[in-house]
Amino acid sequence: MTAYTVQMEQLPGLFAAWSAQCQVHVPVALETGFYDFSPWRPGTEIAFEYDVAYNPLKRFFMPPREDMIVFDLETYTAKPVFAAPSILLFGVHPYDVKAVTQLDQLMESGSVDQNYFSRRDAAVIFAMTPLAVSDTAFWASVGADKVDQGFDLYWTKIGPGTFHVEIGSGRGEELLLAAGPLAPATAGSREAARKAQVRAKTLGASRSLRFDWRETPHVMGRSWNSSLWHRKAEKCLGCGSCNIVCPTCYCFDIREEVDEKLKAGHRFREWDGCMLNGFALVAGNHNFRPQASERYRHRYMRKGKYIFDKIGELGCVGCGRCVRACTSKIADPCEIFNALWEESRNEI
Amino acid sequence: MKSRTFSPYVPRPATLVSKSPLSDLVTLYEFVQDNGKNLAHKPGQFIMVSIYGVGEAPFSISSAPIKESNVFEIAVRKIGAVTKALSELPVGTKVGIRGPFGTSFPVHEFVGKDTLLVAGGLGYIPIRSLLHYQLRHRQEFGRISVLIGTRTPKDRIFTDQIEALAKGGDVEVLETVDMPDADWKGNVGVITTLLPKARVEPQNTHVAMIGPPVMYKFVLRQCREMGIASDRIWVSLERRMKCGLGKCGHCQINSLNACMDGPVFRYTDIERLEEAI
Ligand SMILES: Cc1cc2nc3c(=O)[nH]c(=O)nc-3n(C[C@H](O)[C@H](O)[C@H](O)COP(=O)(O)OP(=O)(O)OC[C@H]3O[C@@H](n4cnc5c(N)ncnc54)[C@H](O)[C@@H]3O)c2cc1C
Ligand code: SF4
Ligand code: SF4
Ligand code: FES
Repeated sequence: MTAYTVQMEQLPGLFAAWSAQCQVHVPVALETGFYDFSPWRPGTEIAFEYDVAYNPLKRFFMPPREDMIVFDLETYTAKPVFAAPSILLFGVHPYDVKAVTQLDQLMESGSVDQNYFSRRDAAVIFAMTPLAVSDTAFWASVGADKVDQGFDLYWTKIGPGTFHVEIGSGRGEELLLAAGPLAPATAGSREAARKAQVRAKTLGASRSLRFDWRETPHVMGRSWNSSLWHRKAEKCLGCGSCNIVCPTCYCFDIREEVDEKLKAGHRFREWDGCMLNGFALVAGNHNFRPQASERYRHRYMRKGKYIFDKIGELGCVGCGRCVRACTSKIADPCEIFNALWEESRNEI
Repeated sequence: MKSRTFSPYVPRPATLVSKSPLSDLVTLYEFVQDNGKNLAHKPGQFIMVSIYGVGEAPFSISSAPIKESNVFEIAVRKIGAVTKALSELPVGTKVGIRGPFGTSFPVHEFVGKDTLLVAGGLGYIPIRSLLHYQLRHRQEFGRISVLIGTRTPKDRIFTDQIEALAKGGDVEVLETVDMPDADWKGNVGVITTLLPKARVEPQNTHVAMIGPPVMYKFVLRQCREMGIASDRIWVSLERRMKCGLGKCGHCQINSLNACMDGPVFRYTDIERLEEAI
């Protein structure tokens, strides 16, 4: 793979060149002590050492609320709405890149989600090897410590002021060279990058699945009747926070609004969550998942089995966001998968 | 970058050409698409109907696919926002439609065979599409038996058509109600009380069933006891639906989407899914 070496001093020039073409988002430290992606402006301090971004990146491709159509009540016609803002996400950790490529596959299969790809095609992703890991994450044990696709550039910090940058796409290379020529990577910088990536994996392994993640669908297949679902879900508030913060949860509701003159309106989709009580409720008050334990089980079945059966990847990238978001301290896929594996390992 | 023009979320306009009450809460609606095209659906499929400003909801197509006629029918029970708004629409007004969506009953597999159609409550609405298709191609099929169960006599729909059908003798029609009123002279009891009365030859029979969630388990058990093979049983399963495109997640039955993998499933394909029946 083509690679270059970039010095810290070259970044301001590059960011200035990029932001002339698109909205650049970078990880920054928030006052709350968390990190999140935020629009870059000259002077923005980039948090290279961030552990996890508070919000999932799905919001850039499928915003919390997004217009799908606008309609005219007088002519009774409707038109599609497509947004395609040019954005560049700088410093995305591999597990979050993996979450995006997973969404890409799910949005592509069957009926192609035009709204998603309208935004996705206009986005550039610069991945970055993590320098820190949040205490709830377990991405290294689910094969999400490194990615080999889904990025335009892959940045690895190999010294106090030096980056090794791998090219993932033509667009990425074009942007990387936007402020002038760069030094090609040397054997030494490649080796340094490899070491940094190994270090990230070790760092990320502080919390781990105790078995090969590829076994998860089998573990889940044996766990439908586990008592764990009841034990855990007893404390579930049905708040849906675990769905909202999850980079691979994408379920939505569709609603609409009309203007005051009752002439026109718009129909939009809005993030929804399978953990909410009414998710599978139909008119006439029949609920297809009436119990909290059924909704709770559904979420983990989806992460550990249903998505896997579809695309051969775990539906959880181990970012640990849900673990932190859950007030009841019950939304921990790592703990759940381990417990179910422990419970059922003798049943193989 | 290619600019997009097509969205599967944009409904096409259709005009309401007639409406007639079927029961206290259920009304039959006839529509034609404004583009002059045939809906070209298959029995068992559904459409999403939009009333702008109110919302969108899924409804089974109740009419048979007919090449020579662009009119299609849905029958809807007034129960919430969209269905209430629909009930208030005057003839001549427009709605938006998307679809047809989903799987259908494999009529080609039924050719030359007997069919047992089991319709609980509003399940008769989609069953009717299949039945009317079969009646239009009557010579292609063997014996047709229709079992219809409703809660009370007042909930019965398409009563005139069903009575005419029963009198015609071409199709075996058996009806029951859970709770009779003073005038009811027919069968009383849940739909499973009808099955033993139907003249079916288990080895040669294909089954199509739609009804309220509680119905399936009991009818399926009975079919099994009669010796009807599971791969000749077709069930239509309805769930909450929003997109109809396999994306929004609302209609999931374990790993399947009722909107795309269904609503019509071959029983053997869902037999092992805990959330199906
Ligand atoms: C495949 C399929 C076929 C159907 N066929 C018919 C039919 O032929 N006749 C009929 O009367 N009803 C049918 N239904 C049920 C019908 O869709 C609901 O009664 C309708 O959605 C209620 O909408 P509402 O806005 O009036 O109710 P509200 O309670 O206000 O519902 C709000 C929204 O929730 C969703 N929703 C609520 N209930 C259901 C439900 N049962 N199924 C799916 N989504 C729901 C819809 O998006 C609806 O617009 C069918 C449902 C499905 C899934
Ligand atoms: S389930 Fe939790 S840990 Fe897994 S990807 Fe979603 S938010 Fe991250
Ligand atoms: S965040 Fe925790 S309490 Fe809230 S829905 Fe998820 S599991 Fe339940
Ligand atoms: S209705 Fe949205 S996934 Fe089936």
